[in-house]
Order: sequence, then C-alpha cells, then structure tokens
Amino acid sequence: MRKSTLVIISIPLIFIFYFVYVMMGWNIIVSVSDSIGAALTYHFKGFGQYIKLVDDPRFWTSLKNTLLLLLLIPCSIGLGLLLAMMLDQKLKGTGVFRNIYLMPFALSFVITATLWAWMCAPTDGVLNNLLRSIGLGSLTSMWYTHDETFIMTVIIALVWQFSGYTMMILLAGMKSIPQSQLWAAELDGASGFRLYRRVVIPQLKLPILSAFVILMLYAIKSFDFLWVLTEPTNSTFTLTTFMYYVMWKRWDFAYASAIGNVLLVLTLVIVVPYLYSSYRRGEK
Amino acid sequence: MNWKRVFGRIVLYGGLLFFAFVYLLPLWSAITTSLKTPAEVAKTSALAFPTHPTLAPFIESFDSLKGPLVISLIITAGGVAGSVLLGSMCGYVFSKIRFKYDTFVFLLLAAGAFIPYQSILVPLFTTISKLHLFGTIPGLILTHTAYGIPMCAILFRNFYGAIPESIINQAMVDGAGPWRIYRKIVLPSTVLATVVVVTFQFTSIWNEYLFGLLLGGGEGQAMPATVALANLKGSLTAAWEVQMAGAIWAALPVLIIYIIMGRYLIRGYMTGAVKG
Repeated sequence: MRKSTLVIISIPLIFIFYFVYVMMGWNIIVSVSDSIGAALTYHFKGFGQYIKLVDDPRFWTSLKNTLLLLLLIPCSIGLGLLLAMMLDQKLKGTGVFRNIYLMPFALSFVITATLWAWMCAPTDGVLNNLLRSIGLGSLTSMWYTHDETFIMTVIIALVWQFSGYTMMILLAGMKSIPQSQLWAAELDGASGFRLYRRVVIPQLKLPILSAFVILMLYAIKSFDFLWVLTEPTNSTFTLTTFMYYVMWKRWDFAYASAIGNVLLVLTLVIVVPYLYSSYRRGEK
Repeated sequence: MNWKRVFGRIVLYGGLLFFAFVYLLPLWSAITTSLKTPAEVAKTSALAFPTHPTLAPFIESFDSLKGPLVISLIITAGGVAGSVLLGSMCGYVFSKIRFKYDTFVFLLLAAGAFIPYQSILVPLFTTISKLHLFGTIPGLILTHTAYGIPMCAILFRNFYGAIPESIINQAMVDGAGPWRIYRKIVLPSTVLATVVVVTFQFTSIWNEYLFGLLLGGGEGQAMPATVALANLKGSLTAAWEVQMAGAIWAALPVLIIYIIMGRYLIRGYMTGAVKG
C-alpha cells in the first residue's frame, strides 16, 4: 500500500477503531470490573453482573419482549410484498402511491411515536374513535397503556413504518426479473397471483433475505420508538430500554454494560454471516 | 379492454387508495389536530378538518422547540460534513485500491453501521465526559461523525465501484497519486452519489434520538429537536394539539427533503439495503 493511501484512510479508520472496537472491548472490561455506579474502576471482579442478569426477572421479560418484536418482520415483509405486487402492475400514478407508502420510513421514530401516541390514545384516540364510528367498537383497545397490548401496539406502528421500505426492496427485485421470463410464463398460461407465486416470488429470495436481516436489526436495536411512546416499565422493557434504564435511571454502569454486551452478541450472530455472505457474493 | 380487466383495475385502485388512507392516517390526524383548539380536539373526530382553524398550537410548540431546532440544524450540518467527507475517503480507497486484507478491513469498518449502540454507550458517555464535551454541540457532532462513517463508506464504495478502472489506471500511468485521483477524478464524476449520501445522512442524523438524549445534556444545553419533542410530549400529556404541532415542526425538514429530494433518498435506502 502506498503511503498516501494510508494517509487518506488513517483518520476514518482511527475513528472507527476507537469508537467501535476500543469501546466494545472497554465495555466488556467494565462489565467484569468492580465499578460501582457511574464511577469506573478497573479491577477484575468476575462475571457477577452476568450472574445477576440471569437471576433478574426483568432481563427475561426484556429478552422475551425483544424476541416478540421480531414478529414485525413477517408482517412487514408480507404487507410489503402485497404493496409491491400492486405497484408492479402497469398502472398510472403508482409513483405517488409508492412515495406515500414509503414516507413513514423517512420520519424519525420520535415523531412517529408521538403520532402513534395520539393514534392509539386509550380514551379519545384516533383509532378507537374510528373503530367506534364504523361499528367495530369491540376492537377498541387500551393499546400501549396496558402491558398486555403494549408490544402489539408497537408492532402495528412499526409495521406501518417499515413496510414501505420492504415494499421498495421487493419492488426493485421484481423489476430486475427479465421481462422475457414473464412473457414466457404468461404464454404458459400463468397470470395474476399465479404468475407471482410460481415465477416472481421464488426469484425474490435475495431481496427477502436482505429485508429480513435489516428488519431484524431494526427490531433488536429499536429504542427511540419504545422510549418515546410511553416510558417503559418492568413488564414492557426490551433489552435496549432496560439497558438505558439501568444506565441512566439507576446509574449502574457495570450492569448496564453487561446488558449491552448481550445485545451485541445477539446482533453479531445475525450480522456476521450476512455481511460475510453478502461480500463473498460481491467478490465473485 | 374487457370487463374483467376493468374490474381488476377498479379493485387495484381501490386497494391502493385504501392503503394510502392507512399510511397517511397518522399524519393527517396530526395535521387536523394541530389546527384545533383544545375544546375542538375533545369534541370533534380527529379525521375532521377544524371548523375554526387556529395556529395557536404551532406557536406554543415553536416556543419550546425553536432553540432545539437550531441546535439540531447545527449538529446535523456538522455531522453530515464530517461523516460524508471521511466516509467518502474510505469508499474511494476500498473500491479502487487493492491491498492485503482490504475486504476484511472493510468488513470490520462496515460492521460499525450495525452494532447496537447500547453496547458502547457506557464508554461513549465516559469518553465524551472526559473530553469535557458532554452537553455540547461539538460532542454530538463528533459522535455523529464517528458513527456515520461506516454507512457513508458502504454507500460510497458502491457508487465509486461504477467508475471505470481504465480512467483511474490512465491517471496513474500519468503519475497521479491516490489523493490527486480522488480529488480530480472521483469526486467530480460522482456529484450525484454525494447528493444521495448527504440526503441520507441528513435525515438519519436529524432523526436521531439516543445520542442526543444521552450526550445532549437536556434543556439549555445541546438538546436536539427530537429530544425536545419527546420532552414536550412527556410534559403535556393531554394537550394533543400542541404535541402534534410540535411533531410537525420537528418533521418539517425531513418532510421537505423527502418531497424535493425523495429520489435521491430512496437511492440511498436501496444501496444501503442491497449491500449493507
């Protein structure tokens, strides 16, 4: 490598080395150190924080809620597929519809959480009012204000926010299928839904995989929406909000860093194989 | 055109309109609510447009959001400049220059875009505090620059990959070094790519919440608009019209970008998805 090349990338690489890898290592050290509160000290104390985690019912609730959030993935992909199929028909004005469906994805989670707090307000909220006015009063709900319906509300709102994005990924996949294949299938008598089920959807494996991985990351990492919608409590914590609560409300940095490391492992299990295979494909 | 096709069209447009209604409903009810008086919010359906529109909620929410909006703008501008500049250098080197372990180093770099920030939050807070940057705008610009680099590098590496090798090789034969090639050939021929990455980064930094919440220091310090909106929401639980007006203020820059630059933003999303 030439010296000038090294000069160009040294600054960004130093940034990433410090802010990602040094901090990851540092975080692991904090989690096994004897730090108390927000004062960090660095004598090795052992894996007490992780043992505490396993014994903490809040951890298991958080893990359960984090895993429940993954339900948004099949919902977003299913809805995204339906939208993409409708937009894939040669109709006028599909561009406008596409932009409407994708719009929520561009907005901040803080904004969408504020909008959904009003949508799902328990007494006079938009959805409850709407349901009552069309005679579906039995479907009204306490939404995010009750622990039992909290995760469901979050999933509905996040599917609203993400499905436009999966629609874009799948639509791009549909457009890249050679037209000749579609004509050939049509000559064989396949049309409408059959054409999609037999010919189009089987070719969308890669876009569906990308959407799957990206949504999984969003779901596991989601914090902003949950924290803003309503301050989480013991039974509505996810790993992200539980970690932030322990760090910022309890000032227990060692325990918080241990929770952070669990999240990291959970993410790496997904990211490493995906990045590896994605770039192996790119190399060929 | 036969009847079956006409019927199909009607069903399709009906479906498209139905979903347009669903996707616009939260924004529509925010707009109508933000133009109402508290009494009218309680009396009328959220879907109905106000009979006597008022701008009072917008004025009230702007009062608590105007400072944070300016802070957000400065943080976003700084973070975009830093991450796009450094990310573009990475994208260039990793797409055009071969060296030992280059793919491996790039993967380590790209992985930075996917880590959960909770796993580095304690060290990040400690670092920013030790640098005396807690509650300051430079602290947040530094943070956004650092964590923006991986995504910018991924996007730029894809775009720069499309520049023909022959042009680069010719310049090298002519004796130009990597730095010169970057400035004279790569940057000028990829203005569009830069626009895509800038819009992408602008929206993601503007929308960001966690760093602002943790490092911004709150009221009177470097509190960005997203944090201010969340605080507004927490302190005015029943005043929906003020909350909705506040949400519209905070969403405005991104909505404007989405309407004007949507094409570029979508390209950013897609490039990030395909390879990311």
